[in-house]
Amino acid sequence: MKLWRRLAVVVLVFLMIFAFSACAKNEPAPQEEPETPETPEEPETPEEPAANVFELALITDVGTIDDKSFNQGAWEGVEAYAKENNITYKYYQPAEQSDTAYLDSIALAVKAGAKVIVCPGFLFEVPIHTAQTMYPDVKFVILDGAPHAGDYNIEIADNTYSIFYAEEEAGFLAGYSIVKEGYTKLGFMGGMAVPAVVRFGYGFVQGAEYAAHEIGLTDPVQVKYTYVGNFNATPENQAKASSWYNEGTEVIFACGGAVGNSVMKAAEAAGTKVIGVDVDQSAESETVITSSMKNLSKSVYDALAAYYAGNFPGGTSVSLDATVEGVQLPMENSRFENFTQADYDAIYAKIVAKEIEIMNDSDVVEDAGKPAEEVTAADIPVSKVEVEVIN
Amino acid sequence: MRTKLFQYEGITSFLSSLSAIAAGLLVGLIILLVSNSQDAFPAFVMILKGGFEDGSRGLAQVIYFAIPIIMTGLSVGFAFKTGLFNIGASGQFKMGAFVAIYIGIKWSFVPEEIHWLVALLGAMVAGAVWGSVPGILNAFFNVNVVITSIMMNYIGMYLVNMAIVKTVYDSLKNQTKPVLKSAVLPKAGMDKLFNTSNVSIGIFIVIIAVIAIYIILHKTTFGYELKACGSNREASRYAGINEKKSIILSMVIAGALSGLGGGLLYLSGSGKYIHVLDELAPEGFSGISVALLGMSHPIGIFLAGLFIAHLEVGGFNIQLYNFVPEIIDMIISVIIYCGAFALLFKQIISRFVTKPVIDTDTSGIEPAMISQANDTSDMGGAEDKRGHGEDKI
Amino acid sequence: MEYVVEMNNITKIFGNFKALDDVTFKVRKGEVHALLGENGAGKSTLMSILFGLYQAEKGSIRINEKPVKINNPNDASSLKIGMVHQHFKLVHNFTVLESIILGRETVKMGVIKKDEARKKVIELSERYKLRIDPDAYISDITVGMQQRVEILKMLYSDSEILIFDEPTAVLTPQEIEELMKIMKELVKEGKSIIFISHKLNEIKAVADRCTVLRKGKYIGTVDVETTSKEQMSEMMVGRKISFNIEKKDIKTGEAVLEVENLTIKAKNSKKNMVNNVSFAVKGGEILCIAGIDGNGQSELVYGITGLMPIQEGRVLIKGKDITRESVRKKSLDGMSHIPEDRHKHGLVLDFNLQQNAVLQTYFEPRFQNKGFIKFNAVAEYARKLIKQYDIRSPRDEDSIVRNMSGGNQQKLIVARELDRDPDIVIAVQPTRGLDIGATEYIHKQLVAQRDQGKAVLLVSLELDEVMDISDRILVIYEGEIVGDLNPKEITVEELGLYMAGSKRSGGYEN
Repeated sequence: MKLWRRLAVVVLVFLMIFAFSACAKNEPAPQEEPETPETPEEPETPEEPAANVFELALITDVGTIDDKSFNQGAWEGVEAYAKENNITYKYYQPAEQSDTAYLDSIALAVKAGAKVIVCPGFLFEVPIHTAQTMYPDVKFVILDGAPHAGDYNIEIADNTYSIFYAEEEAGFLAGYSIVKEGYTKLGFMGGMAVPAVVRFGYGFVQGAEYAAHEIGLTDPVQVKYTYVGNFNATPENQAKASSWYNEGTEVIFACGGAVGNSVMKAAEAAGTKVIGVDVDQSAESETVITSSMKNLSKSVYDALAAYYAGNFPGGTSVSLDATVEGVQLPMENSRFENFTQADYDAIYAKIVAKEIEIMNDSDVVEDAGKPAEEVTAADIPVSKVEVEVIN
Repeated sequence: MRTKLFQYEGITSFLSSLSAIAAGLLVGLIILLVSNSQDAFPAFVMILKGGFEDGSRGLAQVIYFAIPIIMTGLSVGFAFKTGLFNIGASGQFKMGAFVAIYIGIKWSFVPEEIHWLVALLGAMVAGAVWGSVPGILNAFFNVNVVITSIMMNYIGMYLVNMAIVKTVYDSLKNQTKPVLKSAVLPKAGMDKLFNTSNVSIGIFIVIIAVIAIYIILHKTTFGYELKACGSNREASRYAGINEKKSIILSMVIAGALSGLGGGLLYLSGSGKYIHVLDELAPEGFSGISVALLGMSHPIGIFLAGLFIAHLEVGGFNIQLYNFVPEIIDMIISVIIYCGAFALLFKQIISRFVTKPVIDTDTSGIEPAMISQANDTSDMGGAEDKRGHGEDKI
Repeated sequence: MEYVVEMNNITKIFGNFKALDDVTFKVRKGEVHALLGENGAGKSTLMSILFGLYQAEKGSIRINEKPVKINNPNDASSLKIGMVHQHFKLVHNFTVLESIILGRETVKMGVIKKDEARKKVIELSERYKLRIDPDAYISDITVGMQQRVEILKMLYSDSEILIFDEPTAVLTPQEIEELMKIMKELVKEGKSIIFISHKLNEIKAVADRCTVLRKGKYIGTVDVETTSKEQMSEMMVGRKISFNIEKKDIKTGEAVLEVENLTIKAKNSKKNMVNNVSFAVKGGEILCIAGIDGNGQSELVYGITGLMPIQEGRVLIKGKDITRESVRKKSLDGMSHIPEDRHKHGLVLDFNLQQNAVLQTYFEPRFQNKGFIKFNAVAEYARKLIKQYDIRSPRDEDSIVRNMSGGNQQKLIVARELDRDPDIVIAVQPTRGLDIGATEYIHKQLVAQRDQGKAVLLVSLELDEVMDISDRILVIYEGEIVGDLNPKEITVEELGLYMAGSKRSGGYEN
């Protein structure tokens, strides 16, 4: 009978929990308005108050908040601004990767009293298109994308600010610095051939070309160029990187989220170098010589500052480039021996001054005069760089 | 003292599933308390409220998450009733999803009114074909279904990835293109009712599938044959049941259910696409959990699927309380883990639900007593001659 | 009087069921003490307590006059108690010697000292006249030999008290006789033997005293010499049992089942398990196929019933060739089959009684309509069988068959098979593992079929059964029929010689 009693207890506890939740459900929730008067009042928002109010929100894209990449970079901007100005902030993780799940996360953030919602990544384009009209009083900041209804007809509402980055300039800086540093056998390992990654890669090749001309190399710089087809850390990716290193590649520009982790592991084993992407990845591995950074946190910080200053640049889409410090190399954390801060400042100034023409993906397509699908990195007009495209 | 509780099996199963759930929730509460004791209780309540938290929109979320896992759960549970462990629901799901999307994008010649229906039928056929392969291999060559269906999962995944790139690829996002409007499941006004776009008549199709499977399994001679095969293949052969046919049909139906699940999810109009990644469809494996928790009974699977989805929505909502949604995965895992012990729970419960029948007949017959004694000794591991030794009438 | 084992006032309770109720059991030194009782009587539970697998709630145990506590089988071993289980626990690809020393290896520098062990094994084997070859592989030796290996294992570990759990169930008459001799040899050497059985003949032959249990209660201990079989069986069952089955005079009719030149190959080898077998069963007769297990009788039945492919030959029912027909078609043509293994073939254990009752007939219009089962009709039918064949179970037609006792499971199969009104009943070891009462019942049912003019093909390993109820005996040896005998004209011993292959009757001589 002992077992019977034990079982009864378990069942009873379960019933109590259920009854408890049922009570909680049925009790009319106290009608309490969030304290900030600006809080948008949405008909869609259930009247129940959130447990806490969080004014600034970030919805994570694929991956977690500490992905050492996009989510994290944007999050750092939110965190920095919020802490400085003593504003509540929070991030939300969608339940799955679909438009409605992203929209549900936005709804959750709105429910928690969000005034500005930062959405890092182009996957938010469609959900924000819906959300910007659904929540007209909430501001949206979308990084690397612009809202559309799935048909690529961009419609940016007044409460949405779309930020792109001149990845080709970031890639250019990386390519330039690494050749100036003295490396001539390079690799580019992109995640997937999405526009941002493509721009990084094309810029990288052009940077190498520019440096090769500048120092007057006689032998061409060799660049192995591929898209691995995913953004994950997989044994396959590591094996691929290892084989490149074995074949003599000195530095690989790992341009695809967690692909970088695979490349770094391979580099650690081979004693070679890696170039990080998106954010400063120098802390992740000793092998990271520098990182081709988008200044995610600064752009998010600036957008938030603009909002609180009352001049939120809603309805616009910008491409942040070197002129506004949208891209950079983290010189203080880079492990260069030959490439100096002065070199960096010099080339950066030239880019800002538009003295160098850096082609982005559409420029290359235009230049090649071929259908976009057929254009590869091999079509970039270079003379001192040999690009070997590996599919 | 003879209780004719026909549903007694069901009741013990239900109680044991409840115990598993209670244990899982208890562990969840402990995790919540450890990670953030201040908010633990309100967050816990929020988990339990799950889909009820957000009004109709929350319910819609629950239904949306439940649809694919109920279908794969039905698939796994149905095959299990026939004695086959369909671990290949993932591959069948993905095949179904792909064919649904393919038809949804490419077959614009189909009349608009029935486009979605054709796409769903295509998904079912694709899943059925994928399920039939392990079934045929098992029936004719006695190859283990588990092994072949795992292989079919991978073959399906790579095949779908390849086919997407060749046919319906959105290279910008590395995923499938959106399906035509006519292929999206009709909303039948439910989007207005629930105030969100991810509800559709899909849930009714799921309910029809649940009822159909229930009827097949419990009311028809066909279901009788399948269950007999699943429970004792040799005895079915002895009874003249065509066990090869039963096995193949069972896998075909299981595959069709998974495939239909894939079609329902990707045609729901929620903006979900198949990404070209080397990743097996997780819904197939959730289906195993759902089938386990639902005790392989169609109604149980339906409730289990809704419940898991309910928890998932609750887990999503607890982000309001500074908790990471991963906690809900832990809770669900513990529930499933305890679900594996459900048999143990079941044994304990059945011991108390049924009282032994003692006949003090002149010929001295005490079948229940003996079976109880046998059971007890079996647990002790001493009685090794059960069924072979001397038995008593 | 010196007792080696004294179990006093043992009570063992499982849940709310008293498996043993104040049982006292005493074994004298140097005797063969039989423990008699039906299943569920508590024999196994009592021995499990002695062997340390269970602890008794009440009562005490004394071994060699000293009170002991036996908490696990290791305690039992150290008290020199050994047990030969009914199902041998041997590793098939080990040699006899390896099997014997398994778990008791003497090791020198990590290497097993086989030579010493071999010496001891051979010495023991000679002393007790076990005659075993220490280097033979277990898979190559007969069941009787395997049992001797088990006995040697006990002797090797110097056991003094030997428990034999139903040791004769798997043996031929000759082997049983050998075993009896060995047991006598053992007690002569001072060992004490507990002999668990429900076969009165054997107890009569070998035991000195006999303790009878019934329903967990101690009934009494008797001197075997002075007690008749009838008395002992009455103590065991609680009522009088008739040993002789009444049969009407034989009135054979037309041949119902004919088997012509049947040849069946083994599943995974080229060996013919059944070799050119021909016979006919006539209406109104019970034809018995006798033989030692593994001589092709299972394959013969599987071939006839369609569970195994036939290489050559024909099977006819009432002149109609059914050789290539499906199992279902054969069943519809009037063939019933009470299978050898009721758990493997006869029943779906997780189905309930009514579902099992219609295993071959569920598709008939009386039980289904357009593919939907008529549940009421099925339940009704099950209730009819329950009543007619006296099938007892916890919840009647809703009982899960797994929870039914073996006897009632078998009754259900018999009911189902006979109620289909077959022309030929093929019954394979229909009373295997059943106690006297159930055996008697099933024999009566088979004889009733015969008396109605039906044909019965009985396959049995039990000589008593063969002699008691058959009208004609065919002896099968290595897949061939080696004797066509009349049970009224031959003795058990003679039959045993046929079964062992050392005798062939006229017409079957090659």
